[in-house]
Amino acid sequence: MANTSTKQVQIIYGDATLGLRGEGFGYIFSYERGGMESLVQHGKEWLYRTPKPTFWRATTDNDRGNGFSVKSAQWLGTDMFLKCTGAAVAVNDQPIDLPISPENNQYSDHEFADHVTITFTYETLTVPVTTVTVAYTVNGNGDIKVGVAYHGKTGLPELPAFGLRFIMPTVAKGFNYDGLSGETYPDRMAGGEKGHYTVDGLPVTKYLVPQECGMHMQTAQATVIRNRTLDNTDHANHDFNLTFKQNGQPFAFSCLPYTAEELENATHIEELPTPRRTVFAIFGAVRGVGGIDSWGADVEQQYHVSAEEDHSFSFVIQGV
Amino acid sequence: MMKPELSWLDDPQTFRVNQLPAHSDHRFYQSDTDLATGQSQLTQTLDGTWQFKFAKQPSERPVGFYAPDYDHSDFDTITVPEHMEIAGYGRLKYINTTYPWEGKIYRRPAYALGKDQKGAGMFSDGEDNYVGAYLRTFTLDPALRQQQRIVVQFDGVEEAMYLWLNGQFVGYAEDSFSQSEFDLTPYLQDSENLIAVEVFKRSTAAFIEDQDMFRFSGIFRSVRLVGEPAIHVQDMRIIGNLADDLTTGDFSLKLKLNCQPNVNGTVKVSITDADGNGLFDVTKAANDEVEINHQMFPNVHLWQHTDPYLYQLKVTVQDEQGKVIEIVPYKFGFRRVEMKNKIMLLNGKRIILNGVNRHEWDAKSGRVISIEDMKQDLKTFKENNINAVRTCHYPNRIDWYYMCDEAGIYMMAENNLESHGTWQKMGAVEPSYNVPGSLSEWREAVVDRARSNYEVFKNHTAILFWSLGNESYAGDDIAAMNAFYKDHDDTRLVHYEGVCRNRAYEDQISDMESMMYDPPKEIEKYLTNNPKKPFVDCEFMHDMGNSLGGMSSYDELIDKYPMYQGGFIWDFIDQAIETKDEVTGQTVLRYGGDFDDRHSDYEFSGDGLMFADRTPKPALQEVKYYYGKHIN
Repeated sequence: MANTSTKQVQIIYGDATLGLRGEGFGYIFSYERGGMESLVQHGKEWLYRTPKPTFWRATTDNDRGNGFSVKSAQWLGTDMFLKCTGAAVAVNDQPIDLPISPENNQYSDHEFADHVTITFTYETLTVPVTTVTVAYTVNGNGDIKVGVAYHGKTGLPELPAFGLRFIMPTVAKGFNYDGLSGETYPDRMAGGEKGHYTVDGLPVTKYLVPQECGMHMQTAQATVIRNRTLDNTDHANHDFNLTFKQNGQPFAFSCLPYTAEELENATHIEELPTPRRTVFAIFGAVRGVGGIDSWGADVEQQYHVSAEEDHSFSFVIQGV
Repeated sequence: MMKPELSWLDDPQTFRVNQLPAHSDHRFYQSDTDLATGQSQLTQTLDGTWQFKFAKQPSERPVGFYAPDYDHSDFDTITVPEHMEIAGYGRLKYINTTYPWEGKIYRRPAYALGKDQKGAGMFSDGEDNYVGAYLRTFTLDPALRQQQRIVVQFDGVEEAMYLWLNGQFVGYAEDSFSQSEFDLTPYLQDSENLIAVEVFKRSTAAFIEDQDMFRFSGIFRSVRLVGEPAIHVQDMRIIGNLADDLTTGDFSLKLKLNCQPNVNGTVKVSITDADGNGLFDVTKAANDEVEINHQMFPNVHLWQHTDPYLYQLKVTVQDEQGKVIEIVPYKFGFRRVEMKNKIMLLNGKRIILNGVNRHEWDAKSGRVISIEDMKQDLKTFKENNINAVRTCHYPNRIDWYYMCDEAGIYMMAENNLESHGTWQKMGAVEPSYNVPGSLSEWREAVVDRARSNYEVFKNHTAILFWSLGNESYAGDDIAAMNAFYKDHDDTRLVHYEGVCRNRAYEDQISDMESMMYDPPKEIEKYLTNNPKKPFVDCEFMHDMGNSLGGMSSYDELIDKYPMYQGGFIWDFIDQAIETKDEVTGQTVLRYGGDFDDRHSDYEFSGDGLMFADRTPKPALQEVKYYYGKHIN
């Protein structure tokens, strides 16, 4: 990212984490949890658990009909149990030895940089195995550039989706975005009209059997609005936001109260649990939904997501 | 007097007893004042609360309940119209292709596997054939009492009904989705009358009413009495065609009058345009038949989707003294449907069908739908550039056809026929016991369905196509239905999907090539391989759950191949039942299998562009976009 900021980011070389702080923000990256553990802006926590790459979508009726979920079932396990196998840190683009103890004894309580990058590597639970990296680059404004890269491997079944999933501590009040109207997919977005849209709450499309829903293709920016935290000292209920912006290419996202697995397990919408979190998933690759029939016809070839090819995407979480 | 027989339920050759012949659906009024109110004094509704007794099977039914002296003290009540299942008597059930008795009762259609296999007792003694005994009293309204003949109209009773008035047997009807009419005059009393209907869930009609839908029973559409004056327009055939120049209206009219002996009078026929300007006026003596042939009107305002212009026809019947005794209004349009160079044309222009298949559905009441539901559906059509509807897979509420005339919706008016359980076996084509097939014993029943569909709806400008039914394979009987339409109507084309299932009949059962769910590439193969007929997707873009991806590939065919004429998305609205969650009490939508109903096809009923509660699915914006590219 171009260094247009004169502000510097402070680095806390912790024993289990890497802390990155600045005016109005504080981020913690956990080596143990394998990802970003805390994203605080203006005193409000945005993460419930570390964001992880996501590969699954709740089976659609068409997926069930054409056996796609069966063929790609390995990705469900990976989506749930993905393991982090490594972390690496670079300061001002210069790689450093992983700053855990005693390596971190060389640092002080006033370490600053223009920007810091921490990259996590994840290993899939597929046969064969492949890897995904997620790199977070933070500058003095608290902007986080996120780069997600999937490494294709011959022999892997097609991907239902490829993205990064953020689970936020409380249910959002709503979200707004610059993109296409309604719920869109790669093979169903011609009718989406470009614009700025505001969505109240976290609506789950009420398909008779809960399934993949709520995708927004071709998005330039999405802002999640919350007004509650889990902090027992925080009694405020004013709105606070987190904004995701495109970095080069537009992205796809969904903002729901459930993970794909939670949706997958319900046979009716009323079986879904009481909404407690916000599941904001941002995607670099989305499989089409298909529509020729619901008992065997495949999604058209150009809307498949090959797992044998590389996929990568990038976006920015806006700082303060 | 004829004695009703329970064995009629088992006999495909008995499907109407003492029913009046089907006729046009024109409404008739006593006077201009009557007409102005829109409420005919010559009709009397029998909708509302009826006495009701439910029996689990025929042997448990209250035999003789129709007798005035029968003790009805243990009868419950039910609303008419309402399904017995929604009322809580019968179990809700959804199933697609297999018959609703799958896994419970072994049945083969009478005669399908041999002339000696008559199916005696199959339904009349069927343990799953529950029965509703309906009963109510009425006293004729004064206006009706003065009329010559009193007829009762049942707009929809599923699936077989016996009728009594004041203890006397009147008649029997099948065909759940067509109007059944009976003459009550001989049995009427001046004072209170007792009308009784015994409705059976099953009869041989079950084999040909195997539509992919919730399986209901009971009186599910309106019931009314009508009083017919001494000279009554029994039937009318209006033809508003166009001459070859496509600007001159070619109008014909044929009235069949029911004239009481020694009653004379006149019939005035007038036509006005939408602004009330007179175009035509003629008065003729009231004979049994009155005809106007090929009356030409230059430069008529054509009817089409984008401008559904209707003219007002008015037939006024007067007696010898000049007193008006009946007025029949009917709006019609001038339009011409034809096949030219293997392309279907409307008013000389290629038809592009931006259509939907539409089951009648209301989440609260099943196939009992309101005018409000229909209005909302038309509003959705308009907002999303939908220009055509296939009445899948049965005749709809009569009002719908009038509303489509007004809204300019191209209709594919389908017969009540679907027998896929007799030839589609777990996805495979296996017609070993297909009905109607070429079985003579089933022929009249299905031809009668074609006749009813034609006779009732023949004057609706919106109907461009008759459809013989859905997924019933092909044979001589379906060819006979086609022949009926060809004999009676040269102003419309005939559609049948089964044309692709049994090529031996392809020249006898459909004017167009029709397939369902063919991938765009397969359609393209047909279109580039010296096609015989234009192509229509009678069902495509199966919108089950989160679907409707890839519509562009169908859309591209429209500009590329003139013989590709669009199609009907499957389908308009999810079928799901609104009920209370047994755990939380909240209002929820439930589908097949949610009522302990087995064998089931579960959520397969949820294929709509609309959710069952008539809110739109997200995919609708895609339909609006692609259908909007070819507004015609």
